Amino acid sequence: MSNMVLGRYLPLDSKIHSMDPRAKIMCMLFLLIAIFIPAGYVGYAILLAIVFVVVLMSKIGLPYIFKAMKPMLFMMIFLFVINMLVIKRGNLLFELGWFSIYDEAIFQTLYIVIRLLLMISITTLLTATTKPLDLTLGIEDLLGPFQKIGLPSHIIAMMISIALRFIPTLIEETQRIMKAQASRGVDFEEGKFMEKIRSILSLIVPLFISAFQRAEDLAYAMEARGYAPENKRTRYKLLKLRAFDVVAMIFCALVIAGLVGVAILV
Amino acid sequence: MSITFKNLSHTYNEKTPFPSAALNNINLTIEEGTFTAIIGETGSGKSTLVQHLNALLLPTAGEVDVNGFVIKADEKIKNLKSLRRKVGLVFQFPEYQLFEETIESDVAFGPKNFGIEESIAKAKAREVLELVGLDESYLNRSPFDLSGGQKRRVAIAGILAFDPEILVLDEPTAGLDPQGAKEMMELFKKLHTDYGKTIIMVTHDMEHVLNYCDDVILLKNGEIAMKSDVKSFFKDDLTVHELDVQPPHIVDLKRRLTACGFAVDEEAFDLPSLVASLKGELQHE
Ligand SMILES: Nc1ncnc2c1ncn2[C@@H]1O[C@H](COP(=O)(O)OP(=O)(O)OP(=O)(O)O)[C@@H](O)[C@H]1O
Ligand SMILES: [Mg+2]
Repeated sequence: MSNMVLGRYLPLDSKIHSMDPRAKIMCMLFLLIAIFIPAGYVGYAILLAIVFVVVLMSKIGLPYIFKAMKPMLFMMIFLFVINMLVIKRGNLLFELGWFSIYDEAIFQTLYIVIRLLLMISITTLLTATTKPLDLTLGIEDLLGPFQKIGLPSHIIAMMISIALRFIPTLIEETQRIMKAQASRGVDFEEGKFMEKIRSILSLIVPLFISAFQRAEDLAYAMEARGYAPENKRTRYKLLKLRAFDVVAMIFCALVIAGLVGVAILV
Repeated sequence: MSITFKNLSHTYNEKTPFPSAALNNINLTIEEGTFTAIIGETGSGKSTLVQHLNALLLPTAGEVDVNGFVIKADEKIKNLKSLRRKVGLVFQFPEYQLFEETIESDVAFGPKNFGIEESIAKAKAREVLELVGLDESYLNRSPFDLSGGQKRRVAIAGILAFDPEILVLDEPTAGLDPQGAKEMMELFKKLHTDYGKTIIMVTHDMEHVLNYCDDVILLKNGEIAMKSDVKSFFKDDLTVHELDVQPPHIVDLKRRLTACGFAVDEEAFDLPSLVASLKGELQHE
């Protein structure tokens, strides 16, 4: 489990890594919106080209992106099969008794697959090039304006950063408890239904207890150091937008405009 | 019957961009019926080593033979359960594995997993709880209402309940008060002498090594730096010095006495015999 790729930060040195997290989040949002503009194959070609160039710039490498895609492979195949069976429009390509394939089914599936591929690549690019803490700083700042309408942006950001911080800890803890119970003869893979339930209980109960214990300890530690969410806090790390960040954001906004243009023309 | 490691190596995250070697070409034999201590500084690979004994971790190279049960790199294990029943492994801070509503059923959980009938498992639970010093009044209490030390006893009872031939303990006294730690060690001694269990214990406490163990294995950076019987390990104060081990008080005291010019009996490993030998020498003068 510790070799999970999704959402993991890769400490490299690149132009993308050194971007302001706020700019990166905005760029990601723009590109995610762009994916849903129905600009046909031209639109997807443009987006794929952009993602390709950014991956190269970030130095994280295409294999890493493909690895991140792996967990989705099953879903893509599933979608493909469902579409084949359900969509019966367009030209008939192939027929065998009750079974038939139409070209529309293939197009629809390709659209979905390309969209998924783009979404995963773009989010992976963000998480692989941004430290979790920078990411939450960015989110906090971007949510800042909403404070006026009562949105506790600092609290939301703190919650996100604590959650991110504890994901690896919880994975480790899970492995530890699974090993301890395996030593007591628990078989997490096989067994009858009731045995399965018992074995899952033997994992979940200790996991919850230790998670609550950790939460309590952390809360006390934060309070002991004077943390109160409503207080004004200064920051150790100040975010600064640079020319490259601004250019990148304008570029991504233009991509949306461009794709809208293509969509109207087509 | 014995436990044998042959050219065993273990690398965590082997097939990823971040591999980390924890054990390197371990060759080792532990005889049946011994009480063996595994020592070494933090991160030296002690926990990694002992988790091979019941196949929680598999070697990435080499093999380990546990009383005839061979675990090899890249080979699927048959009959995993019978191995885990033979080797009872008590994790560091085992109290985190408790989950049942009552202490009795938590302790009986292990035996039931190994296919022992419910009523026999419960009887066994009673017996081992008695052994770890918790009487009948605890049977129907929740394990979560106990103190830390009591929880640890329940957790250890949960392993003893299925009667493993080999008992592996990873820092069983970590975080206990001195009295609780002593009682715990007395329990392991009893299991060793009265019940004939082979015991392998990871520890940082040299007093426990000296007072309870037969053999000692010193790990350093994932390799075996030394294996010998406890007495000669502490007699040879060069090794103790060079290998960076904090010696037990009595060994330290003997070294200071020797430095002051006393001829100290090499075989004296407890206060009474040390005093006796010193007395003899003083009377000579
Ligand atoms: N799950 C894991 N993934 C990656 N590396 C690990 C993992 N567990 C341990 N290691 C590494 O393997 C090495 C040996 O760890 P191990 O837990 O065996 O040490 P130890 O001797 O038991 O230390 P301690 O006295 O602190 O318990 C360490 O360098 C550690 O960082
Ligand atoms: Mg350890």
